Amino acid sequence: MSEQAAFDERAYERKPALRRWLFVHKWSSLVCSLFLLLICITGLPLVLRDEIDGLLDDALPYAQVAAGAPNVSLDRVVEASRKLYPGETVISVFVDDDEPKIMVYMASSWEAFKANRRSLHSIRFDAHTGDVLKQTKPFGEDGLTFLQLMLTLHRDLFAGLAGELFLGAMALLFIAAIVSGIAIYGQFMRKLDFGTVRASRSRRLKWLDLHNLLGVVTLGWALVVGATGVINELSTPLFALWQQTDVRAMLAPLQGKPVPQTSELFSPQAAYDAVRTAFPDMITTSVVYPGAPFGSPFHYVVWTKGKEPLTSRLFSPVLVDARSGVLASAITMPWYLRALELSRPLHFGDYGGMPLKIIWVLLDLVTIFVLGSGLYIWFARSRATKTQQRSAAVLPLPSPGAAE
Amino acid sequence: MTIHRSIGLIWRWPALLAALSIFGLLSALLGQTGVWLPLSWVALAAPLAVAAICIGRSRG
Repeated sequence: MSEQAAFDERAYERKPALRRWLFVHKWSSLVCSLFLLLICITGLPLVLRDEIDGLLDDALPYAQVAAGAPNVSLDRVVEASRKLYPGETVISVFVDDDEPKIMVYMASSWEAFKANRRSLHSIRFDAHTGDVLKQTKPFGEDGLTFLQLMLTLHRDLFAGLAGELFLGAMALLFIAAIVSGIAIYGQFMRKLDFGTVRASRSRRLKWLDLHNLLGVVTLGWALVVGATGVINELSTPLFALWQQTDVRAMLAPLQGKPVPQTSELFSPQAAYDAVRTAFPDMITTSVVYPGAPFGSPFHYVVWTKGKEPLTSRLFSPVLVDARSGVLASAITMPWYLRALELSRPLHFGDYGGMPLKIIWVLLDLVTIFVLGSGLYIWFARSRATKTQQRSAAVLPLPSPGAAE
Repeated sequence: MTIHRSIGLIWRWPALLAALSIFGLLSALLGQTGVWLPLSWVALAAPLAVAAICIGRSRG
């Protein structure tokens, strides 16, 4: 670094407010940057997960049917699933509105599922013929797929809820780094034009300018993806909160009544139809069996979503009595779960077609550069400071040319 | 003598790009049809384009 640049930097660090922001920026970034790098790198393939999934999918193809062909009954796919895995518990049935598939999720028991959410396995049916197209083993039992590995590293580092909260905290530090970065940028750029990259003076100065430029142009996107990342990491406690408050209050009158046994369960197709008839403006997406951790021991929870671009992101559960198939009540989701639902697309970038995904990947790559260059600047700086201290011992007087 | 730039001048471009980013994020989410999707792509690509131009200039 040139002496002038070193002096400028020290002069601008003399203001106490700025020094505090620099302190926040330095330490929030240093603590989170390695984890954020991991999150950004594993996030790259996750942006394209549908495409990668499609490429790697070894399921049988869907049957060719006439347009408007009806779906098979959910009762039939559930029965077929129970025959494939006798003694196991059906957790939920998902009806895709995009592809002609019905997914049945099973686990060895509710206890096993509650103890380990990953003990779930799935059977994919052709929605028109009811043929089995693919079966998966419980998570990790067959070795992790590439995307499962990326998602786990991205979300919880194989540490479950603790990992989710930890990475959520790292995302909070990332936001602190952006906010403090904004405060520093304003001071730093008082003597420079926007977009200046001083390429000819020193490598560190060039990287500093690139760090500032790329950081500041992407800050809107990075703040949104960071904040929605924090909210996504809170999904487990948020759903637990909802279960402990709203859902518990609604189920209070049923407290202590006998829980329906598998043999007593009413037809899931009937529950699905009851909701579809009662809410014709909604798309019915899945039926969760009674006993689910975020649900009711007495009811099917039938999930619905809207048909408009925005409302298709908002899911609303409807309770259907599991013994009688009678529609019990529609549940209004609390604001914090609505916020969580809206956070998903804004974090995943999967809502605007392939061009948006490509832009997402590029912005992610820029963020990786900002993180990496930040580390480099800090590293080069501490080396430069050491060198200066050594030369200062030899030449105690500052060079007069460095004065402003 | 160095001229100190005003806050308005310093933040003109970054604020415009941040506003465009937010607009792009929302227009694809709320619109999803017609012109809203391409608008979102253009708005979100703007920060990348501006950065590329600045870097290009520093080399040329």
